Amino acid sequence: MHADTQVLAEIATRFAALSLVAIGGINAILPEIHRVVVDLEGWMTSAQFADLFAIAQLAPGPNAMVVALVGWKVAGVTGALVATIAACGPSSLACYIAWHWADRLRESPTRALVQRALAPLAIGLILASGYTLARGADRSPGAFALTLLAAATLAWTRVNPVWVLLVAGVAGLAGFA
Amino acid sequence: MPRPEPAYADLPPITRRALFASFLKMGLLGFGGVLPWARRVIVDERRWLGDREFAELIGLCQVLPGPNVVNLSVIIGARTHGAVGSLIAVAAILLVPVGLMLVIAAFYAAVAQDPLTRNAIAGASAAAAGLILGTAMRLLLHTRPPLRGLLTGGAAFVAVGILQWPLLWVIVVLIVAGIGAEWLARRSGA
Repeated sequence: MHADTQVLAEIATRFAALSLVAIGGINAILPEIHRVVVDLEGWMTSAQFADLFAIAQLAPGPNAMVVALVGWKVAGVTGALVATIAACGPSSLACYIAWHWADRLRESPTRALVQRALAPLAIGLILASGYTLARGADRSPGAFALTLLAAATLAWTRVNPVWVLLVAGVAGLAGFA
Repeated sequence: MPRPEPAYADLPPITRRALFASFLKMGLLGFGGVLPWARRVIVDERRWLGDREFAELIGLCQVLPGPNVVNLSVIIGARTHGAVGSLIAVAAILLVPVGLMLVIAAFYAAVAQDPLTRNAIAGASAAAAGLILGTAMRLLLHTRPPLRGLLTGGAAFVAVGILQWPLLWVIVVLIVAGIGAEWLARRSGA
């Protein structure tokens, strides 16, 4: 029991510290998580870490959830909960405080100016993450076509993305990807 | 907490139930990324925000530490129901996905060997990447940033996506450049 508590405390402190440097989300600090989990703590091998990352891609939800899997691997369901809360808690608190600060400046022209500057930056970063994911996923011309089709459907139609994912899954099943 | 802050007036009233249901939906459907679903639910389905406001808000969420959709949950929750709202939205977007993922993890060893499953996943992953690209396209088409915005956005894409430079430094440099460009534009154009 004592050892369990100690492991949970370590998970909590490690991920809480990572949380506050995770600018750009968890994927941006994946190499750092790998360093902590595999090299420093020795919680798992590099191959096991890669497996967890693959599982995280299978599940819906924020891609941050790979940390829940790391916690699960190390200390079961409690570990998963502790890791998730530790990884999202401090950054969420920072966000909450930042929002209140921004809210007080709502009439200020400076805030409007900063927001106008941030919007296109966000679009560029979203495009970059889509591109990075596509580079990993598109290993065949068929997969590339599915990516383009999905992008065009979302950009120019109001078709529910569920259909896009289902059709692509069936196409993959048929060996198209 | 009981009396609504007038400062939050630019978001339509959202019940706690609607807040929970919406973010649960985003988390549940967000295979390969929650952002396309966040935009769809918040902008198209619920009409809480327009594309421009959504892009601005996501911009803030990107530059703060933490997963951008979790930050988005914090802010939309806070704008409608204060700290309780933040907790509701974050719990909704994380709870079901974490639960599902643990179930998947339990069966992963068996599933990963099955070639048919792998094929289906390959197809869906390719489409999931496309959904994120499409979300960026849609935001671009609907917000129509001026040339200076296209330049910062384009620089972010090239630096992070193609050159794979460290995100933190790219963000720091481009925030400064973007704000500087907006400031110059306002001074000369005002």
